[in-house]
Amino acid sequence: MAQGKILIIDDDPDITEAMSVVLENRGYKVRSARDSTEGMEQLKKAKPDLIILDVMMRTSQEGFELSRELKNNATYKDIPILMLTGVKDKTGLDFKSAAGDQAWLPVEEFLDKPVKPNVLLEKVEGLLQKS
Amino acid sequence: MENLLKSNSLIGRAYWLIWLRWVAIVTLAGATFVAGEGLGVSLPASALYTMSGLLLVYNLVLYGLLRYWSRGGRETSPTKTDAILGFQISADLFILATILHFSGGIENPFSFFFVFHMIIASILRPRWQSYLQATLAVVLFGGLLLLEGAGVIPHYDLTGFAGHGLYRNGTFVLGFLFVFTITLYLVVYMTTSITEQLRERQKELEKANELLQEKDQVKNEYVLRVTHDIKGHLAAIESCLEVVANGMLGPLNDKQKDFVGRAHRRTTKCMAFVMALLKLTRMKLSGRLDVERFSLRICVLSSLSSVQSRAREKSIVLDHRIDPAVDQIAGEAVLIEETITNMLFNAVKYTPAGGRVGLEVKPDGDFVQVKITDTGIGIPETALPHIFQEFYRAENARAVERDGTGLGLAFAKQVVERHGGRIWVENNPAGGGTTFTFTLPSNLTPAPVQV
Repeated sequence: MAQGKILIIDDDPDITEAMSVVLENRGYKVRSARDSTEGMEQLKKAKPDLIILDVMMRTSQEGFELSRELKNNATYKDIPILMLTGVKDKTGLDFKSAAGDQAWLPVEEFLDKPVKPNVLLEKVEGLLQKS
Repeated sequence: MENLLKSNSLIGRAYWLIWLRWVAIVTLAGATFVAGEGLGVSLPASALYTMSGLLLVYNLVLYGLLRYWSRGGRETSPTKTDAILGFQISADLFILATILHFSGGIENPFSFFFVFHMIIASILRPRWQSYLQATLAVVLFGGLLLLEGAGVIPHYDLTGFAGHGLYRNGTFVLGFLFVFTITLYLVVYMTTSITEQLRERQKELEKANELLQEKDQVKNEYVLRVTHDIKGHLAAIESCLEVVANGMLGPLNDKQKDFVGRAHRRTTKCMAFVMALLKLTRMKLSGRLDVERFSLRICVLSSLSSVQSRAREKSIVLDHRIDPAVDQIAGEAVLIEETITNMLFNAVKYTPAGGRVGLEVKPDGDFVQVKITDTGIGIPETALPHIFQEFYRAENARAVERDGTGLGLAFAKQVVERHGGRIWVENNPAGGGTTFTFTLPSNLTPAPVQV
């Protein structure tokens, strides 16, 4: 069984639930939050080993802003972030080409929604091993 | 001054005038020769040949200037082109009057040629300017006849062609001028009436076209909005179904597994459709291409390797020929690779087991040509004209795969045309199967492409 605490921040509770089941099945401890504010509260309660962050929540910028905020925070900057991007549909932005540009978008990995369970597990495992 | 014809077509008209003038020069020299040598008409041949020579130089200079102004496909300003046209038409009236002076004046039936000039003016110029040109013609030709008749300037007889003394017959000269004037003004009136109607119509069509484009834009934005929202729900449905189907919430009995599996597969298909529609719509809405230089060879090879295993499963021979002259082209590599891969997958999908799919890449003038041939089920003749339309699927394609999106080829067409290429399809003459061909410019300038 895999070890690790994961925080999912996504405003779609159905997706959050489904991902939680997949991750818990593998043995991870999962918490979830619906927005940035709730996310920060959860972070203060318990520091996770990984954050799964939806890029677009109430505003199209929320995920971006939160990721920058976290990376500028001494306590949280080492937590890897896996960003979920359905946003390409609206902005046409190619995240794969932007990945790695830490100044612009400081996250470790991207996944396009919808996420297949095995792909999700693979990415999560990879990120947790690195850190 | 409003001119409803487009500037570049005005430039085209200016070239047209120059072309007509070459014909006129040849006609003038030829007519002088035939009249003088063949028919024995006495006329100041040297003056007329000199006129042809001068006209030749004038036309050459005009041609050179036009080439200079419109070099590199550049559009000159409509005002400038317009001024050039106005000048040309007026100058031509002067030239015709001068030629007529040296070739018999009233005795020369070539005075009919003023009618041509009036028609040309009425097509190319606004109405009031055409009347002005008609007035200029009447003043020039009328002045010529009256001055010759009054003996102020010399008259050159066309001995052997027309009767003597006609030019001194006041009644005849005035009568001639009267009919001449009426003819020119009537020609201008009739021609400008018609062209004005045509311009009006053209303006209406342009407006209607603009409106259609706006509506299409609104429609695309609407589709994008709706599909995006549907996709959000589908993603949630798919994620939830996956959890159940994978037995993560506990084991399922066979019946449950079967039904959840059905729901899951349909959701996946629906998702694929929504994604394809999103991609196509996004493509239509975005006015730009991320153009970079890339190796088409590598792109094609990578497409081939994506399809390889699928082809092997159906024991389809997948062969390719890439001309060594083809390598780097400019374009959006991701889109082009996706297009080639899609088309190869299509070819494999609609080719029965044991068939053959061929891919050929070769240069084609300023383009490269990509050709994908299969020995598949072919496309019914009635379906051929519709095959690139969104959502269209041929009957026999439905029989092979019930739930195709009908968007793949529409996307391919968008990609190819956005790059300035062409895409088409033919059924193979012998042995059945289909050949899809598309072209891409080998040297697309890496600049934003406007929709």
